[in-house]
Amino acid sequence: MIGREVAWRIFAAEYNQSRLEIKGEGERAPSYIVSPLGAMVNRVFIVGVLTDLDNIGTGDEPLWRGRLQDPTGNFYISSGQYQPEATAALSKMEPPAFVAVVGKTRTYSPEEGTMYVSIRPERVRIVEARERDHWVLETCKATLRRIDAMSEAKQMAAPTVDELARLGNTPLLAEGVVKAVGHYPDVDLQRYRGMVVDALKFLLPEYQSELETEMPAAAAERPEEIEDDEEAEAAAEAKEEKVLAIITRLDKTGKGAAWDEIVDEVRRIGLDKTALEEVTNSLLDKGLIYEPVLGRMKRI
Amino acid sequence: MEKQELAPHVTEISRVLGNKVSEEQIAKELDTYLNLYRVSLETAKRSVVRKLGGDPNALNRGSQKKLSEVSGTEQNVDLLVKVLSANRKEIEQNGEVRTLIYGLMADETGTLPYTAWDADRFQLERGQVLLVRNAYSKEWNGKPQLNLGTRATIEQQPQDAVKLPEGMDVPVYGPSVAKVADLQEGMNSVTITAKVLQVETRKIETQDGPKTVYSGMMADETGRVQFSSWHDFNLKKDEVVRIQGAYVRSWRGIPQLNFGERGLVERVPGHFPADLDLYRSNPRSIDELERVGGAFDVLVLGTVVDIKKGSGLIQRCPQCNRLVQNKLCRLHGKVEGQYDLRIKAVVDDGAGAITAVLNKEITEELVGITLEQAIKEAKEAMDPEVVMEKVEERLLAKPMEVRGNVISDDYGLMMIVSEARLSVPEVRNEAARLLAELEGSQ
Repeated sequence: MIGREVAWRIFAAEYNQSRLEIKGEGERAPSYIVSPLGAMVNRVFIVGVLTDLDNIGTGDEPLWRGRLQDPTGNFYISSGQYQPEATAALSKMEPPAFVAVVGKTRTYSPEEGTMYVSIRPERVRIVEARERDHWVLETCKATLRRIDAMSEAKQMAAPTVDELARLGNTPLLAEGVVKAVGHYPDVDLQRYRGMVVDALKFLLPEYQSELETEMPAAAAERPEEIEDDEEAEAAAEAKEEKVLAIITRLDKTGKGAAWDEIVDEVRRIGLDKTALEEVTNSLLDKGLIYEPVLGRMKRI
Repeated sequence: MEKQELAPHVTEISRVLGNKVSEEQIAKELDTYLNLYRVSLETAKRSVVRKLGGDPNALNRGSQKKLSEVSGTEQNVDLLVKVLSANRKEIEQNGEVRTLIYGLMADETGTLPYTAWDADRFQLERGQVLLVRNAYSKEWNGKPQLNLGTRATIEQQPQDAVKLPEGMDVPVYGPSVAKVADLQEGMNSVTITAKVLQVETRKIETQDGPKTVYSGMMADETGRVQFSSWHDFNLKKDEVVRIQGAYVRSWRGIPQLNFGERGLVERVPGHFPADLDLYRSNPRSIDELERVGGAFDVLVLGTVVDIKKGSGLIQRCPQCNRLVQNKLCRLHGKVEGQYDLRIKAVVDDGAGAITAVLNKEITEELVGITLEQAIKEAKEAMDPEVVMEKVEERLLAKPMEVRGNVISDDYGLMMIVSEARLSVPEVRNEAARLLAELEGSQ
């Protein structure tokens, strides 16, 4: 029986942290990437806000690149002439929009030891906010299932696919978890649980204000006090300096600091993703940093 | 046989006799049986032991064979095996009815059929790992067969004592006490409690002449299943029964429950879910349906991740109803096709994917277009694809509930949809519940 590859529900933060690829051997064998929580992904179904979309190809040979944001980070998508349906659909879209993507995983390894992941869309549709919300909830549940499977595996001396499948995990997840345990020894499950908590709060109006005030907490404790422009500018510059320092520190390989790691790191100084994007946009404008590849920031 | 070759057998006999007899004497006796009377080594050893006052059954202890080494002539062989199947059968022998067990045993070198001649002494069950002592083998149809006779004994061993090659192992089936949703092709001796929703009597022709079958539908809170009873248990609609010794065979992947004379049916008093609940089955996960291979009338919740080609406005052959492409039927050549509407949607729930086939009526309702309108629009645009676009516009990337029978073929699971509904569930209540759960556990 040739089954169709399942479309995983996975948040950007988990997807982008994937550093393990399983290449299919033989003509029709599928390839997978294994996420830190053991998702063994060949195909995804994602819904988010399309924030950027550019045709970096030509009219005849289009190559659309876009960013799709979910509550945890950004998916990078690219679609060219070999994805005619998705490319045609993208060419008619304009950000911002709620967009659903069914797509295949793609990896890019500029050199050995590094790997970036993106998504090559098969189908792209404009959807509504409530469909995005439904996806966020589904993805929270799927992520929790993986966190559970990982913590079960970590309690086993030598986790096996059979044993994990017996606990009710799908065979593919069981296989992915065994591989993930071997490849990501230090995966912080508590951090992913925290990510799910934030994503759930994102769905609940009673937490909206909490999320907004919580994020810029340290850097702008009492924003109403920063009244005049000079002071605001000084605060902005202070933020920029801190972010610049973080980017420099995280850039251990010389290929730039990974966006998700920057996001994690700036959380400590009280910046949320939106605030960080403001800062990096300003730094990009000033020519202090650049993006050598999608998802990496490097100091000039 | 030369003296050196005999030495290990002499040592063995000596051990069985408790080293009370000199090896010289044993060697002489053995030599006589083998070289003078020319009996087989096996018989010679047993005779020598018996003659010198020992227990011939003690021979061979500790000397095991692998299944691939069994030749079909062993009088006495020990084996470490896993029971792949255990079937009971009643036979008449000298006017006496007795039950035997037959099936397959396996080790890492292969499998062999076996017969245990006494079902009471050998309580064999599928999946057991056993050390079988003092079995004998015979050749049947050119292949060796194992027999567990009066001298044989079995000892349970830990599961990991036998490691079978992948694909050969006993599939891990659920408990033998099953719910409807657990039923899976190949299950034997299932115990199940369910309510009879319908039952009818049918007469069928079999090899052994006409037979009456009592078939219908049963349900528990996990789902509904078609059943066939090959014996008259006087089943009545609305009875709640506990059936023991049922088995599962599937038709196109849909598991069906069977039981016969050897089954046991009891009426169970007490509470059972109301009929309404029995008809409103809970959603099933697609990976679970993949595992059991199919199901009768189930509900699946997922998202439409693709619409397959051949959806929308199609043409069918008037003679065989097959799809007509480029005015050609695969069977009848050039035909005047008849228009029809249908959708083949891939519904994915994050754990698995299933192809849902929606007929004309369901397509019309879901897409909000009648067949007549679809034909008109296609003719105006001179392109039947406009209908496909409409289908995609309406369904793609949308959450959908589908209900129907799930069958499996070479391309995976397929549902013949009887009801379909597009719906985006409300998220806040469940998000709040999950959040409370998570924060409570931290």
